[in-house]
Amino acid sequence: MARQLPKFAVLQLSGCAGCEVSLLNSTEWLYNFELVYMPLVISASNVPSVDVLLVSGGVQTSEDLYKLLRAVNSAKEIVAVGTCAISGGITNLGNRDDVRQMFLSEAERFHLPRMLPKCHPIDDYVEVDRYLSGCPPTPELFMQLLVPDPDYVPKRNVCQECGRKKLKDMKPDHFFYSQRGSPDPDICLINQGYPCVGTSTRAGCNALCTKPGHPCVGCRGPSDAFIDKNAQDWFDSIGKVFEKMTDVPTEEIQAILRSPQLSLFLFQFADYDHVNKKPRPKEKIV
Amino acid sequence: MTQLTFPISRIEGHAQVVIEVEDGKVLSSHFEATEMRGFSHFVKGTPAEQMPVITPRICGVCSTAHHVASVKALEDIFGVEPPPLAKKIRELLLLGQLIQNQATSLFIFTMPDRLDVPSIFHSLETSNISVKGVCDNIARCSLRIRKAGTDIISLAGGQFIHPIKTIIGGVSSGITPEKAELMKKELNTIIPVVRILFNHYWQLSISLKDRIGTWGDDEPTFYLTSTTPTKPSFDSSRIRILSPDGVEIETFTASEFRNYLVFTENEYSYAGQTSYKGNIMRANSLARINMTETMGTPIADSYMSRLERAFGLPTHPILLFDLCRGIELIYAIERAIEILSEPLNNDITSVAYTPSDGEGYGLVEAPRGPLIHRYNVLDGKITEAEFVIPTVHNMLAIERALTVAANRYIKSGQINLELEKAVGRVVRAFDPCIACATK
Repeated sequence: MARQLPKFAVLQLSGCAGCEVSLLNSTEWLYNFELVYMPLVISASNVPSVDVLLVSGGVQTSEDLYKLLRAVNSAKEIVAVGTCAISGGITNLGNRDDVRQMFLSEAERFHLPRMLPKCHPIDDYVEVDRYLSGCPPTPELFMQLLVPDPDYVPKRNVCQECGRKKLKDMKPDHFFYSQRGSPDPDICLINQGYPCVGTSTRAGCNALCTKPGHPCVGCRGPSDAFIDKNAQDWFDSIGKVFEKMTDVPTEEIQAILRSPQLSLFLFQFADYDHVNKKPRPKEKIV
Repeated sequence: MTQLTFPISRIEGHAQVVIEVEDGKVLSSHFEATEMRGFSHFVKGTPAEQMPVITPRICGVCSTAHHVASVKALEDIFGVEPPPLAKKIRELLLLGQLIQNQATSLFIFTMPDRLDVPSIFHSLETSNISVKGVCDNIARCSLRIRKAGTDIISLAGGQFIHPIKTIIGGVSSGITPEKAELMKKELNTIIPVVRILFNHYWQLSISLKDRIGTWGDDEPTFYLTSTTPTKPSFDSSRIRILSPDGVEIETFTASEFRNYLVFTENEYSYAGQTSYKGNIMRANSLARINMTETMGTPIADSYMSRLERAFGLPTHPILLFDLCRGIELIYAIERAIEILSEPLNNDITSVAYTPSDGEGYGLVEAPRGPLIHRYNVLDGKITEAEFVIPTVHNMLAIERALTVAANRYIKSGQINLELEKAVGRVVRAFDPCIACATK
C-alpha cells in the first residue's frame, strides 16, 4: 500500500496569488505531500484536517477573517506565507486615513463581504507557528519549509548572497530610484547610488533582485540581527550604513528612509507602527 | 425569489456567481468580485518612479503585464523611447508571462473540468500522460510547462513573480548567449510535452461538447485586442475592435480609450465592467485569434488552421477561448525561441531620461486582453492612477454566458445539477483575474 503522505492546505486571503504561483513553480512537494485544499487549483469548499496550513494574503474582509478562524481549527501547524500574511506588506500603503475611509465606505454592499479598514497580518487574529517571508517566497524557500534540507545553512543577509563588491572609494552624492541607469554588474548598488537594503534583509532569496541590478526592497523582512530590535534602533542602523558608504547629505538619507513608499516601508517596516506587538521570534522564521 | 450562490475556485482571486430565480424563471446572473485591493487609491502620493515596483503586486499572476504597462505609462510622461534591444527583451518577458498564464489556465484551471476531477493533482493515478525523460504524469508535465514560462520571466525580468528588470527607458541588462541557450534548450524540450497535453485537451473538449451538446454561449459579440493583426505582438501600441460580423471597425491609442470604452459599476461587485459604447464585448485569447491573420510561427499556425477548419474564423463559442489559449501557448514558446536565437546583449539596453510631470498612458496586451495604466504626476508624485483591466472588459460577456447556462439548466422550476459545473466552466473560459479587476 502507498505510504500515507502528510496533508497540506493553502488558504488564500486578500493578496495577489503570487505566493501560490511561486509554490506551483516547485514540484518536489508533489512527492512528499498531499495537497488537499487550495482554491486556486482545487475545487473544494472547506479546509479539511491537515498537517500544515499555509496562509497567504492578509485579512482585508469579514470573509477573510471568517475563513481564517475556521481553517485554523483543522490544522496542526499554521504557517504565515508571504509579506501580506506576515506584515501587510504593500497593502500597508493603504494604512492611512483616506484609504481606511474608502474601505469603510464600502461596508454595506449587497451580499458582498464587508471591507475592514485596513489589511491585517494574520497573527493579529491567530497564533502562527512559522513564518515564510518574501514577496513572494521563492520555490526553494517553499521547499525548505515543506521538505527541509538538514544541511542547509542560511546566510545572514541578502548582502552575503549578492556577491557585489563594496568599494571604499566610490561614494555617491545622491540616491536615485532603481529606474535610472544601467548599474555595473560587479559593484555594490549602494556605491552606485541605489538605496539598497540588502544589508539588513533576511537571506534565502539568493539575491535574485540585486544580482541583475535592482536594489533590494527588503521583501524577506529583517534579518536575525535586526528582528528583535525595536524599530528605531534598526532604522538608525540602516541610516548608518548609508552614511558610511555614501556622501549623500544626512537630510536626504533621512528623507529616503522615511518616505512611506520607498522600499523600506513597503516591506521591512511595513507594520512598524504595531507598537504593542512583540517582534516575531526569529526561531519561527523560515 | 431563490438565490443560487456558487463560489468559484480554480480562478485567480475571490469571486462568486449568484443566479436569481423567481417562479422557475432566471431573473439575473451576476458575476461578483468579493474582494477589493484598493491599489488605485493607495498609490496616490507614491513617487512616480517607484510604480514599476509597486504595481506588479496588484496581481502575482498578471504581474509582468502591470510591470511593463507601468514603465510604459511613465515613459509616455517623460517622453522617452526604449532602444530596440530593450523592446525585444520586453517582448520576451511578456511571452514568458503568456506561457505561464496559458499553461496554468489550460492545464491547472480547466483541464480538471474535462477530466471531471477536483484538480490536476487528483488525477495522478488515473491519467497516463507522460513524456519519457521529461515528466511522468499530467500534473508534473503541466507544472514543467508553466515553469518554463516563469524561467523566461526570471531571465528577462529578474525577479520571477514580480519582475524588476524593465526600467524607464529600457531594461536594466541584456541576456548572455549562454543563458539564452539554456532557456532555448528547455523550451525545445517542452514543445512535444505541450503538444501531447494540448492534443489530449482538444480531444477532451470535443467529448465535453458532445456530452453537454453546446460550446456554451455561442452568439457573436464585439471583440477587443491590442495585438498586431499579423504575428501578434504583446508590447502593444493600438487597441482594435472587431464587430460581431467580423469587421474591424475601430482602432485607437490608449489615451483615446474613453471615446470607445464605457466603464460602469454595480452594487453587487467590487469590480466594474466595460462595454464598447454600451455593447457586450470579449477580450482575451478568442478575441486575439479572431483578430489576427496568422500566428506567424509554424506549429501554432497549424493548430490555428485546425481551429479554422473545425469552426471557421472569426468564431464565437466561449469554450473556444480555451483552445485559443493552447494555440497561443505554442506560439509563445516558438516565438520565444526565435527571440532567444538573436543576440540579446550586443547593444545598449536603456537610454537616459529626465523625469517630468504630466499625464501618461501605458498599454500592453496582457494574457486577458488590453491593459492600460494611466498616471497623473505632479512634483514627481502620483496624483491619480487608473488601471483599465482586461477582465473588466469581459464582465458583461461573462454574465451573458452565465445567463445562457442558467436558462439551459433551470427549466420550469427544476434545477439540473449540471448547472454548478456549467457555471465553473463558463467563468473559467474567460480566465478572469479578480485581484486585478477590483478597484
